[in-house]
Amino acid sequence: MKSSYLYFLIKVSLENLRRNKLRSFLTSLGILIGVFSVVILLALGLGLKKYIQNQFESLGSNLIIVFPGQVIGRGGLRQAPGISPVRFDEKDVKNLQRGFPKNLIVPVFTKTISISYLNKTETSDAVGTTGDFFTVRNLEPDVGVLFSGKVTLRSKKIVLGPKIAEKLFADPTSGLGKYIKIAGERYQVISVLKKKGGLAFGGPDIDSFSYLPFKGSSLNPDEKFLALYVKANSSEETGPLKENIQKIILERYKKDDFSVVEQTEILNAISQIFGVLNTILIGIGFISLLVGGVGIMNIMYASVRERIKEIGIKRAVGATKADILIQFLAESIAVSVLGGSLGLLMAFIVVLVIRQFFPATISLVSAGISLGVSLLIGIFFGVFPARRAARIPPIEAIRYE
Amino acid sequence: MISLARVSKSYNFGDGNTIDVLSDINLEITKGEFIGILGASGSGKSTLMYIMGLLDIPTSGSLYLNAKDTKTFSDQELSIARNKFIGFVFQQFNLIENLSAFDNVVLPALYSKEPMDFDPKERGARLLEKFGLLPRALFHPNRLSGGEQQRVAIARALMMNPKIILADEPTGNLDSRNGEEIFRILADLNRSEKVSVVVVTHNKSFAKKTNRQIFLKDGRIVKHL
Repeated sequence: MKSSYLYFLIKVSLENLRRNKLRSFLTSLGILIGVFSVVILLALGLGLKKYIQNQFESLGSNLIIVFPGQVIGRGGLRQAPGISPVRFDEKDVKNLQRGFPKNLIVPVFTKTISISYLNKTETSDAVGTTGDFFTVRNLEPDVGVLFSGKVTLRSKKIVLGPKIAEKLFADPTSGLGKYIKIAGERYQVISVLKKKGGLAFGGPDIDSFSYLPFKGSSLNPDEKFLALYVKANSSEETGPLKENIQKIILERYKKDDFSVVEQTEILNAISQIFGVLNTILIGIGFISLLVGGVGIMNIMYASVRERIKEIGIKRAVGATKADILIQFLAESIAVSVLGGSLGLLMAFIVVLVIRQFFPATISLVSAGISLGVSLLIGIFFGVFPARRAARIPPIEAIRYE
Repeated sequence: MISLARVSKSYNFGDGNTIDVLSDINLEITKGEFIGILGASGSGKSTLMYIMGLLDIPTSGSLYLNAKDTKTFSDQELSIARNKFIGFVFQQFNLIENLSAFDNVVLPALYSKEPMDFDPKERGARLLEKFGLLPRALFHPNRLSGGEQQRVAIARALMMNPKIILADEPTGNLDSRNGEEIFRILADLNRSEKVSVVVVTHNKSFAKKTNRQIFLKDGRIVKHL
């Protein structure tokens, strides 16, 4: 194709867009919305994956968790551990400690509690555990010391996450040494943890948690646990360790009564759920792109009708059917790519804003795919009206009034 | 150069309702001729022009372009022939509204499928200059007067160095002064460039300036002068 011909095609296409600014903009709006939603959803999906990964990594790696019930099945998370009737006890902890003396074994129970300080009452998810929990979860004190060993396991001490401490004491560190009340019992705040950043979208907010020695309160009178954490000393160790944990737990429970899962499995399960959700949402975005394409086709048919005389003039001076087809196709591509580019630009701006509080990311691939898809939509939905334009007999076109 | 042998054109409107617009036309146009086609409205003048310009096809008979029967031409070959050999001038000027005068003039060059022995931009500018329109080269048609628009249309018709110019009532939309000017330009072109010119006109005084006049009535050639 001659460069002057290409230049002319682009020039005329842009000129036609310019002459019908509002119509061009409204026509490209469908593509704009479609590209915007697909790019934003991909950016949020990527960001969410990264965010969850970071969160899990910051909460300790090489971790194996024993849950009651079948937590992970095919297709992602299967059952909340709390639903299973099975609860672990100290005997299970001791069996695991005997089996794996070189690994940290941490029992955990959780309960939602109300914490009162003076006339303030706040709700918090309490974790009843041992001091090793802080090690396996990479939690560090901002002020004070964490409970550790058997000495403090029966004591009425509490470690607060920074958010719950802030709610109770305004200045979180000022809560150190103060006494708070839970279900009528007094507990002394021995530490406030450093900020971790909570999981978003309804997930647990780790900074609002509070931590109690598991034997120190009446919150867990039968001393049963919701989960047992086992820390592997290396990533290579996790596979064999998982199998051996299973063998030990099987001595007391049936196969279906518990799950031994690696942290990465939970991460994968969550990613799988978000993956499905993301795919559905992106699918909806693509439907919007298709609707936008139909809009382009509609307008291009109208444009062909309005410009029959112009087609006749061009045929009279030597334009072939292909020349007419290419001209109309170029215009439909111009509208579609304009919408795609504007949608991408808007998505970039919105992602820049979102990035202030969430690590949303636009990948070059998603930007490229979006523009590619808008180009394809311009071609696919433009080719039918363009063919109609090309097939108008020259005599009909030139005589059209 | 162009010859029509027993060319007829009829339109079928269904239910056996057929209108014969041209009947049995035999005509030969040779290089450098200046021909006027006259006739009342509906006599088939424009249809004859469109058939000679390869925009329409005869129902029967043949049109020969340089001794080749155009019946055998594909749509693409017809387009190429229009581009290379024929220049059109219409009563309504038929300029493309969203192109400047200059772009309208060079438009045929963009559709040329063969290498040209001239630079289209240079030629476009030269043609506009020839008709005194260079200062208005970037004007769109809506900013030009009727006479100016028709001069742009003539410049466009000349862009590809055609062998024949077919002008369908070129003065029909112009006042007498501009009409005369346009007719003078066409006559000059015929004289100086040796390009054949076929003009459909109602104006007998203009027609008298041509070398040959063909009178049409009810789709038939009734007189040859």
